[in-house]
Amino acid sequence: MYLESSYKIRDKYLRTDMLPTMFCPGCGIGSVLQFTLRSIEELGWKQDEVVWVSGIGCSSRVPGYVNFDGLHTTHGRALAFATGIKMANPDLKVVVFAGDGDMSAIGGNHFIHAIRRNLDVTVILINNFTYGMTGGQVAPTALKGLKGTTAPYGNFENPFDISQLAVAAGANYVARWSVFNYVQGMNSIKKALQKKGFSLVEFLSPCPVSFGRRNRMKTAPELIRWYQKITVPISKAKKMSPEELEGKVIIGEFVDRDRPSLDEEYERYKERAKKLMGWEE
Amino acid sequence: MTQIRIAGFGGQGVILAGVILGEAAAIEGLNVLQTQDYGSQSRGGHSVADVIISREPLYDVMVTKADVLMAMSQIGYNGAIDSLREGGTLIIDTDLVKSDREFIGAPFTRLAEEKVGLALTVNMVALGYLVAKTGIVKKESVEEAIRRRVPRGTEEINLKAFRIGYEEGAK
Amino acid sequence: MRYPFSVGRSDFIQGDEAIARAAILAGCRFYAGYPITPASEIFEAMALYMPLVDGVSIQMEDELGSIAAVIGASWTGAKAMTATSGPGFSLMMENLGYAVMTETPMVVVDVQRGGPSTGQPTLAAQGDVMQAIWGTHGDHSIIVLTPATVQEAFDMTIRAFNLAEKYRTPVVLLTDGEVGHMRERVNIPDPDEIERIYRKIPKSKEQGKYPFRDWDGDGVPPMPVFGRGYRAYITGLTHDERGKPKTVEAEIHESLIRRIVDKIEKNKKDIIDYETFDLDDADVAIVSYGIASRSAIRAVKILRKEGIKAGLLKLNVVWPFDFEMIERIAERVNRIYVAEMNLGQVYHLVKEGANGKAEVELIPKIGGEVHTPKDIIERVR
Repeated sequence: MYLESSYKIRDKYLRTDMLPTMFCPGCGIGSVLQFTLRSIEELGWKQDEVVWVSGIGCSSRVPGYVNFDGLHTTHGRALAFATGIKMANPDLKVVVFAGDGDMSAIGGNHFIHAIRRNLDVTVILINNFTYGMTGGQVAPTALKGLKGTTAPYGNFENPFDISQLAVAAGANYVARWSVFNYVQGMNSIKKALQKKGFSLVEFLSPCPVSFGRRNRMKTAPELIRWYQKITVPISKAKKMSPEELEGKVIIGEFVDRDRPSLDEEYERYKERAKKLMGWEE
Repeated sequence: MTQIRIAGFGGQGVILAGVILGEAAAIEGLNVLQTQDYGSQSRGGHSVADVIISREPLYDVMVTKADVLMAMSQIGYNGAIDSLREGGTLIIDTDLVKSDREFIGAPFTRLAEEKVGLALTVNMVALGYLVAKTGIVKKESVEEAIRRRVPRGTEEINLKAFRIGYEEGAK
Repeated sequence: MRYPFSVGRSDFIQGDEAIARAAILAGCRFYAGYPITPASEIFEAMALYMPLVDGVSIQMEDELGSIAAVIGASWTGAKAMTATSGPGFSLMMENLGYAVMTETPMVVVDVQRGGPSTGQPTLAAQGDVMQAIWGTHGDHSIIVLTPATVQEAFDMTIRAFNLAEKYRTPVVLLTDGEVGHMRERVNIPDPDEIERIYRKIPKSKEQGKYPFRDWDGDGVPPMPVFGRGYRAYITGLTHDERGKPKTVEAEIHESLIRRIVDKIEKNKKDIIDYETFDLDDADVAIVSYGIASRSAIRAVKILRKEGIKAGLLKLNVVWPFDFEMIERIAERVNRIYVAEMNLGQVYHLVKEGANGKAEVELIPKIGGEVHTPKDIIERVR
């Protein structure tokens, strides 16, 4: 993989007048943003044909920093806004930058229905197991036993596996990596961006300040080492028993298929309507 | 201003009869309002269609004292009879409704079954009778309204039913 | 342009249907909704018509999603609408505020039914007036129109789109289950004769870069269209003219919110619409709006016959509100009655406007039935 210089990526894609970012030292969002921008650069996409949409949370601040049209919306609703954008103008390419709380808790319903419809968007999901912006409350993705300010004695609920949820709901492309897997991560983002229909790339992404501190991992390197410990590649996971997989997070490409996207289906639907009503030109 | 209330049970096509009557008035350029009231059941509950027709601007939103009440079933009659003004016209299906007030009417359901050959057209038979008796709108306007409003392919049988009711009323 | 319904003639249709047809004639090409009584007929009509006019009609997972999709569509340049009733309107409050804050033109129709909660799904009410005006949190202003007839439902839908586009704001068309479901004769004009207003878009890249700057001095910034190279950034956070979040600077918050409020409040004269019946020489004024105002008109006519000098002020817009006009009326009459299908909402606005110059009394009605003229006459007589 040939990598452009970071300066070139920065100067081309970031709004310098919106900087600095609000991200804390050790935060993984910047890395995932870089993967995404490099992927767009490699694909040669024009900035003016891409709209970035987000909800609420640290990762949702990303559209403000990048030099594209951007809609920073309400908590959990990014995909519903994106549905309007994509369906009203299918020529636009839509990137949704989101956090795990945004997508799987308050936005869970929009998430599964956008996938069910196979809305043609790419979701780049930052999973840090926590609500970072509001100070480290537990998220629905938090593995059992992890601590947060709203479960100070260790999470007692079962976690959501967002990627598996997306596969089950019918996404065309789903992959999960940690920020440490940057080559695989970038390859997955490139595939996801090019995929018609719903695509999701989930990243385990360090939040040392709100999450790590409460779980004896005060720095990003400690969190990355922890990811190395808890992640299992999908090929290896297939040979493991459920007991062995307890507390592990599977990484890799989960699905890659080509079901028709919502806007493609709607085009056909319009034709059907005109035919049924005798409206053909 | 004329207030007309059509009352029956769900499935008799009461509301469609009201809509067609209203459409006919609209075709004639009259001011007209049509509302409906029905229970939550799609079939078998009471069903009421109100039509108010006026040459003046129409402000009223409900039938307060009906000039014409057409009762197509006993359940409809029982619920609506108090809304008929004194001296108002009461039209009933004489097979299905018993009334102690002065009335006119015909066995609409029987006519639909025997003369039209389709019980479902009872609403059009009754509407024909009402139009003939009251002269509230022209026969031709109702026929045009039927063509606009009934499901495609059923225009002829509905028109037939309307004419049979109309002839019965014109006797 | 071919329309999937007859135009340039009158038709006999329900209020909900009239709203859908008017929206399409106003240029609406995006509709997102969720089924709810008594608003579903609007959605069903849109579902029937939109594919034929190359527009979009989509059923979302809930009303949170419906209004969100409509806002998203608006930023691509589309005229967009959603419709609902009380329970769904409550869910929409969050993103209605987002539309206010981001100055997104759109139309929300609330076909009111009895509430609170699930209440009386099939029956009419006017209990959502204060919610329409103040339901979303934080300081703001909004436009709320109240049709009383099927013709007004049609005409005000077109006006709602025009006001939304002109002032770059969400507009609420506040109707009710009675107007929504009743059929009346409606004049559907020739499409060429319909006045359609379209939003201002930036005249240059520079203008597009500052989507919240009052470039023209009218309080309404030109609105960028996504995908046309403006690279606009839009956020519901308090933002500067560039769109950059500025969440702790008091003066930035103040200038943004004051402009958003002022663009509506300072254009009251243009936005407000009302009709009067026999009001000029009246001793007693009735204030009413929407479906209730029809019985009020009849009541005034009957009272006049009885020799009581009653008059009516029929509000076609309940926000912004002309408090000064109410005071002028209060100076001339002995008493003002407010007839509305709730336990007192516009009543409070009228009372504030009357400013003690006349007694203000409420003629409430709840339960699902519209006031009868008698309900009003007996109170006034």
